[in-house]
This record gives sequence, C-alpha cells and structure tokens, in this order.
Amino acid sequence: MKTTKIFICFSLLFVINKATAQQITTVEMQVTGLTCSMCSQATEKSLRSLSYVSDVSPDLNKNVFVVTFKKGSTVNLDQLNKKVKDAGFSVGKLEANMTFNQVKVDDQGQAIVGSSIYRFDNAKNQVLNGNVKVNVIDKNFISNSAFKQKSAVVKFDSYATGTGVVNGKKVRIYHLSI
Amino acid sequence: MTKKIMAIVLVFIGAFTKVGAQELYVFTEPASNMPSNSIAVRLTNEGMFEPQFNNRSIAEVMVGLNKNIMFHVQGFLSDFDGRYRVEGGSFYAKYRFLSLDATHSHFRAAAYGRLSASKRPTYTRDINLEGDNAGWQSGFVFTQLMHKLALSATLGYSQVFEQKSKQIAGAPQPDQMLNYSLSSGYLLLPFIYKNYNQPNFNLYFEVLGKTDPVHGNSYLDLAPALQLILNSKTRIDLGYRFQAAGNMPNRYLKNMYLARVEFNFFNALSKK
Repeated sequence: MKTTKIFICFSLLFVINKATAQQITTVEMQVTGLTCSMCSQATEKSLRSLSYVSDVSPDLNKNVFVVTFKKGSTVNLDQLNKKVKDAGFSVGKLEANMTFNQVKVDDQGQAIVGSSIYRFDNAKNQVLNGNVKVNVIDKNFISNSAFKQKSAVVKFDSYATGTGVVNGKKVRIYHLSI
Repeated sequence: MTKKIMAIVLVFIGAFTKVGAQELYVFTEPASNMPSNSIAVRLTNEGMFEPQFNNRSIAEVMVGLNKNIMFHVQGFLSDFDGRYRVEGGSFYAKYRFLSLDATHSHFRAAAYGRLSASKRPTYTRDINLEGDNAGWQSGFVFTQLMHKLALSATLGYSQVFEQKSKQIAGAPQPDQMLNYSLSSGYLLLPFIYKNYNQPNFNLYFEVLGKTDPVHGNSYLDLAPALQLILNSKTRIDLGYRFQAAGNMPNRYLKNMYLARVEFNFFNALSKK
C-alpha cells in the first residue's frame, strides 16, 4: 500500500515536472449565448479542430468547457476564442492554468515568457513559480460590460487593443488577472 | 380581420411569456446561424388532405460559410399539378449582423434574402417561394433566447418574377407580399443535461402571417410543432399549420402538415 502511495506521489511529481515544459496546461472557458446540447456539440467540435487540443470536457448545464492541451504544444488563446466564435457563440470567461518557471513580473506588471508578453492588472514586482491560475481579461474574453468596467480601472495603454510596442516591435499582449 | 389578428397575436404573446424554448424553429429561421464550416442536410415533406391529398418533398443542403453567413439550397418536388415532378429550386442566404451573448441568453439579428424558381402555374395572389412561385424575398429576423425559451420575429417582403406563360387566364395573379411571423420555442427535455446523447425535446408555437400590400388580402396561421434532437446532431420535426383568420382566395399551404429530418455534420468543411 505504502509503496503504491509513494509510486503515485512519484508519478505525480514526474507529471508536474513534465508540465513545466509548457506554459498553458488547461483552460476553463465559460461559453455564453448557448443553451442547447447541439450548440455545445458544435462548440466542442470546433475546439477539437485545433491540432494542439487533446481533450474537451464540457459541463452542458453551466456551458463551461475544460480544454486540455497536448504536451509541449504552444497554445494560442486567440485561436481558441475564434473557434468559439466560429461555432456562433462567445467566451464569457477564460481561466488558464499556467506553469511558470521563475518568471519575473516587473514593476509595471509586465512579464515576458519566451515570445509571449503578459501584463497583469493585479501583480507587480514578484516572481511567479509553478502552477498559477490566471484569468484573461482582454476584450472578447470577458463580457462586454465587464470589459468596459475593467477599461476604467486597468492602466495599460495596450488594454484597449490587446496590442502594444515592446522592444520596438508591435506585439500581441495578453492582459491577465491572478 | 385586423382586430382578430391582433387579438390572436396578443393571446400568443401572453401565453408564452411564462414558459421557456429553443430556436430551431420548424416553420421559420432564427437569426442565429449554423456553426461555421458545418453542413446540414434536410429532407422535408409537407402536404394537405383537403380537397385531396397532395404533398411536396424538399431536399435541402445548408452550409455555414463562416460565423456570420450561411446559405441553403433547396429542391422542390410535388404532385400539386398531377404527377410527382421536380417543380423548382431556391437559394436562401442569411447574414447575422448583431450578436449579444450572455450566460444562457442571447439576442441576435440577421438579414436574409431568397431567390426562387418554380415551374408551377400561378392562380392566386399568395406567394410561396418554397415551391409555388418564382421570385425574390428579403427581410430581417430578430431572436431572443432566454435560457429555455426562445422568441423570434421575422419581417420580410417578397416579389414574384412575372411569367406570363405560367399565368392561368382569369385567375388572380401574384405580385408582392409582406410576410411576418412570431415564433416561440421551449426546451422541454432534458431538465438537466448529462451528455450529448440525451434526446432533446422542444415544443414550438409559431404565428405566421402574410399580407398583400396592394389588395389588402391577408391570412394568419397558427403552427404548433414538436421537435426531437438525437445525439445532438439529428433533428426530427413534426408540425401542423392551420389558418386562424384570412381572406386570401386559393392560398398555398392551407392547413398543412410538415415532417422533416435533418442531419448535421459539424466542421465538415474545415481544413484541419
């Protein structure tokens, strides 16, 4: 029994260790505008057409879709959003499980991970490590009314468009909330 | 006449504000579109028993081109003029221009257009671009979904292509027509979703009206329908429409049943 437990713990450790190789492991999406199972099915099939999606698990009553990604794959949150739109619906909330490895959030709230740029509305001057749940607060990732409210509070000039100039280049910037 | 129609519409609105529905209407189209890159195939049979049994079969392919544009291509066959034969076809396109989504609810607005061809002779002012007439139609649809209830309104205008050779001498002839409808749908089952394989059972009630803007002739139909959705992709409709009020001589589709099966192929067109 004890050996089994140790083995499970060890395996878990292994799994977690592996996960550090990628940034986003799972995403929990609230999809809005739908109530029928045919609509949910259409949304799920649309999401599954992305090559890096390994599993989609829907809660048909809450219209929440948990999307799991293939190991080591690069996840594009805008593409996920587009797939929901393609099915005819919208994203009302998106919570991503992200794995950080000594990622520094600077005094402005910006963090650069590889080629991805994140700006946090509620974190600065800190180092992110391990699994962190973040909410994407960009336009079309939250309801229109929530975006309007956030726009009044979030200070980044990049927030309105989701893009900005970093190191002389215009890039996509995801705005996150921890 | 107008008073009677108003009364029926009011009763209808009153009766349905309390119950809940879905928006895959049987006799009209909702403002919502099909998912993009999806295809659906429909087979419909409609007919009436008076004065004698006649029926029409409709073969239909529906394509979701992108999230805002979809179109239908239809072929019509019937025995309304004797032997069962191909009588025409129709192209219908819909553009969704407004979409406001919230949890378990949405409001959508769309514009639509239709072009139809038909071999049938004309003998009434009524216009039916799904088989009976050649012409065009255009209009707007507004759909509000509130959890289990969906309400939808359509307003359209149609005009026939004049074909002298098809006109029956001495009979009234079609020219233009206003069409309007109010539809409601209610999701009856399941109460709680567990998986995609649970059958969905929807109940519909639609009020369908037409008015000839030149001569003032009108009719108003009540159309209840049942719908079963299997495995979240196969849809079966059973409906009946009957005239509640009207003064349009020789009108089409009076007191008619409708039976339909639809198969959905999600993402059939997406290049993976």
